[in-house]
Amino acid sequence: MESNCQGPSRDQAIHTLNELTTDRDRLADSIRVPWALVAGFGGVAAWWVGATASTSPGQNYESPTTGGLAVAVVFVVAYLVQRETGIRFRRMGSRAGLAVVGIVLSCLALFSASLGLVASGLQWAVALTSVLAFASTTWLAGVAYRSAVENLRSA
Amino acid sequence: MHEARFDDVIHAPLRLRICGLLRPVDRLDFAVLRRTLDVSDATLSKHVKTLIVAGYVDSDKAASAGRDDARRVMWLSLSRAGRFAFDAHVRALQEIAGAGGS
Repeated sequence: MESNCQGPSRDQAIHTLNELTTDRDRLADSIRVPWALVAGFGGVAAWWVGATASTSPGQNYESPTTGGLAVAVVFVVAYLVQRETGIRFRRMGSRAGLAVVGIVLSCLALFSASLGLVASGLQWAVALTSVLAFASTTWLAGVAYRSAVENLRSA
Repeated sequence: MHEARFDDVIHAPLRLRICGLLRPVDRLDFAVLRRTLDVSDATLSKHVKTLIVAGYVDSDKAASAGRDDARRVMWLSLSRAGRFAFDAHVRALQEIAGAGGS
């Protein structure tokens, strides 16, 4: 391995490397989870789950048309989060991946539960599943964001 | 694994720190970078321009409707060449740092 090491002394090199770590820590410390926008992800989840209230489960079931629109809104919210915080992450980290899987699974489970409630004539109960979707998605999206921030320190 | 090699452009302390902050992210807003490094706009602009001219940093300006003064957000990111040069430079520093330690 070739090395052109005429530059700094050992102490200076150690100091420089430590400074790079300190800068990344300072950047990570300065980033706050933009909860108002992260709640937007929860709002999309609540909207999608809540759309089941207007369906008719059974032989004439037609899936709500909100799915594609919800995905589009998710991308818009993600873009706004980047604009708000001034950072776009390269890697989110494994904890963020698990959080996203958790969001998908919880939303699917709540969507299915909502369809079951509607089929049982309990349309009003969809409000509860929508609130659950909002809370779980907002929390898990916050977990994912914090994971990305912590990932900065170890990058 | 990258070859250890000093890079004269990156070697300047502030430019090395700029690259160090851009390396782990996809892109960073100029204002966030300035706040983190605690330097003036003019100082940061000067060093960022040097990195852009060297082909190590890419910049992308976007409109900012959220700002009252209608300024534009300047996104900065390390180019492929910039990532390679920075990694090689850091590796050279690590070799020096580890040289007297054993």
